[in-house]
Amino acid sequence: MPSPSEFRVSRRGFLKLSGAATAAAALGGSGHLTPVKTAQAGTKLESGFESKFTVCDMCFNKCSAIARVVDGKVQKLDPNPKFLKSRGMLCAKGNAGVRQLYDPNRLKYPLLRVGARGEGKWKRISWSEALDLAAEKMKAIGQKYTRCGFMFMAGADMQSTYVHRFAKAYGSYNTLSHESQCLIAGTRAFLDTFGEVPIPDMLFAKYCLMMGANRFESLVTPDSIDMMTAMKQDMKLVVMDPRYTKTAAKAHEYYPIKPHSDMAVMLAIAHVLIKEGLYDQEFVAQKTYGIEQLSKHVEQYTPEWAAGESDVPAEAIVKIARELGAAKPAAMVYPGRRSSNYKDSTQVRRSFAIVNALLGNWDRPGGLTAARMVGLAGGVPLEEPFYENNPPDRIDAGKATLMFPEEGSFKLARDAVLEGKPYPVKGFFCYHSNPMQTVANRAKTVEMFNGMDFVMVMDVAMSDTAYMADLVLPSQSYLERLDPCSAQQGSSACACVVMRDPVVKPMFEAKPALWVMQELAGRLELGKHFDFTVEDFRKAQLKGLPGALEALKKDGVYYNPSKLYGVYEGKIYKTKTHKIELYNERYAEMGVDPMPVYKKHEEPGANRFRLVVGRNAIITQSSSTSNSLLMQFQADNALWLNPKPAKELGIEDGDWVKVQSPAGQQWIKAKVTDMTRPDTVYMDTGFGVLSKQLAIHGKGACIAEVLVDDFDRISGNMAMHETFVTVSKEAA
Amino acid sequence: MLKRSLTFILALCMVLTSLGVSFALDADGNSRKGKYLFRKSCRSCHAEGQKAKDLSPVDMTQAQWKKAFADYKKLPCYGNWKNVKEKDIKDIYSYMYNHAKDSPSPAKCK
Repeated sequence: MPSPSEFRVSRRGFLKLSGAATAAAALGGSGHLTPVKTAQAGTKLESGFESKFTVCDMCFNKCSAIARVVDGKVQKLDPNPKFLKSRGMLCAKGNAGVRQLYDPNRLKYPLLRVGARGEGKWKRISWSEALDLAAEKMKAIGQKYTRCGFMFMAGADMQSTYVHRFAKAYGSYNTLSHESQCLIAGTRAFLDTFGEVPIPDMLFAKYCLMMGANRFESLVTPDSIDMMTAMKQDMKLVVMDPRYTKTAAKAHEYYPIKPHSDMAVMLAIAHVLIKEGLYDQEFVAQKTYGIEQLSKHVEQYTPEWAAGESDVPAEAIVKIARELGAAKPAAMVYPGRRSSNYKDSTQVRRSFAIVNALLGNWDRPGGLTAARMVGLAGGVPLEEPFYENNPPDRIDAGKATLMFPEEGSFKLARDAVLEGKPYPVKGFFCYHSNPMQTVANRAKTVEMFNGMDFVMVMDVAMSDTAYMADLVLPSQSYLERLDPCSAQQGSSACACVVMRDPVVKPMFEAKPALWVMQELAGRLELGKHFDFTVEDFRKAQLKGLPGALEALKKDGVYYNPSKLYGVYEGKIYKTKTHKIELYNERYAEMGVDPMPVYKKHEEPGANRFRLVVGRNAIITQSSSTSNSLLMQFQADNALWLNPKPAKELGIEDGDWVKVQSPAGQQWIKAKVTDMTRPDTVYMDTGFGVLSKQLAIHGKGACIAEVLVDDFDRISGNMAMHETFVTVSKEAA
Repeated sequence: MLKRSLTFILALCMVLTSLGVSFALDADGNSRKGKYLFRKSCRSCHAEGQKAKDLSPVDMTQAQWKKAFADYKKLPCYGNWKNVKEKDIKDIYSYMYNHAKDSPSPAKCK
């Protein structure tokens, strides 16, 4: 960590920055949206550092930030006080971004595997050798197995768009992202209810019921910051979670709900809202479809019944329903983000969506808002070719009822690859994503890679997925890159565009994804699809936004002052009935429950626990756990275990335990705590890595090794919390 | 008997044609190929800066696409469809219908 003397910021300069930051903080509280004046990027300041705008890449939020650069080196990262989506905030991970750039373990050159797969033996090769090899393999696999025989995966990165573009030009339908590990069940549920995925208007909410989301630790902008401000403005926060998170700790009320019973509580809340006439009857009559069917359906789901399923007292369910009804329409069930939990996660999230619809909060202040107009175009158009000899569809097509054809399902695609049906997939390119650490059942992922003819990974560090590759390509850190523009949605905070310019020169032989895609395209006679620069791409993206480029250069962000509320006035809802669907007609036609039906779930039983996973404010899955600055806060994970079963098992705080599931086993230290239910154990994600080229190697246990892989039947989302484990006191 | 049946069928066809009764396409063609054919056959006119209105599957609902393609020979641009085969029309329709505004997977970009 640099010493304070290395930060060459004068007192006057510091005061200027502090003032700007304070002003920005005040903005968040007041709800006024006028950006403050502050130091401008590109200006040489008197104190000896340059300030350059960037966009953080330490998680998916893409917060605008300012790099303080001295003699061509980044000394410090600060928040951009004009960036309203983060309310002028840069979190711990964002501050630690400088260490991603200067991490001595960074990938520096292309590496070719010379030992067994996963053995960690490499040979440095030149870029031209690497690209020739990759192109030769892509050509050979495409010819032998069709172009769909090569699979592509890209993370939530601003250059991932070029990887997906390459996959289309090359001709593979088999593209994946992190989304089927994360949120597609929630996306499916809200799309199938409202015709759109909502953005919560947290700042103006009066009441928020949060089911399992951990917004004060697993940060989402502006929700995390606005939630705190809204609470100062008397918003009531009620949290239900099997684990006592920091969000739970800050809530007005907390209920340690039994895992997999959220739907029971939601249906009981709907029962009370309807029975007591507390729902928004005018809104429901005008804008929704299926209230009669829903009323009849939820008659059976009484608060007393739900209490038996969930361990949330019946009186509490009734009270919450009444309070939601009283606070409507500025009341919400928080839609949440990660929904990779259960086999019926889409239906669970449908129950959240239905209660929101009953509250009439859609498109209204303090409720769930529609996406605002940003106006960013798609960039340079792709003349996507069609290859006649390709198979008809993705390898995982048809394996979930309503899978998104562009997202697919990592779980179902991996199963199909392992089976070799309906056709072989023998090549894999992964860009800035790490399925070895994040996808349940790591043994299956290893088996998939072992069956591949060629695996190529491009990343900043030697992730576990890179560790399994044949060819590893060094990617530039976000602070070295020129990237396309990105549209951002922030409800009442903003609808905006950000873009990323390099703040320092690229180090070593690291390259951007676009350059790699262009080089490969040129070798595969696909060059015409990549005949542009990032500047050309940006120009095409910004063609409908006059003045945006200037604003981006001046402020690091462009705002579109587009309509926020009442967006749907006079418009149809994008569902089958063109109304908000309490009863889903399309589901009924497809043989899927048109309204969520609660089904009894398997209980852990004696000597078993349900394993739940998550993260906190200083780790973003596996991409940040090896950051040496963040490791000063956390360099290990532990198994949260309730004192009652711990006593029965003879386990004390700090003991080494073995966690075993049908998928695998890991050894980890026990954290004996009453912050988790007796039937539930918890682990942070991002530890127990295989790669010896990561600083975190040898620390903690890996969730992917012990999580059982199941899937949501409607969306294909991974279902990670269907895992039951045994825990025993046992040293590794 | 056979002659009478043929006469009846011929008469029925004439009646249906005169009434302008349309046939319904099924949206079970190859949507992926349809996307390609839509770009090749339709986007040459239906694009920004071209002679016809910019067009994407999300510009209409499934019902609207169904109606438009039920009588596609009456579309103003049908005269330009000379080289588009019947099977290709089904693929294009499948793409438009399956990625319409109110479909389960609305098209993301044009």
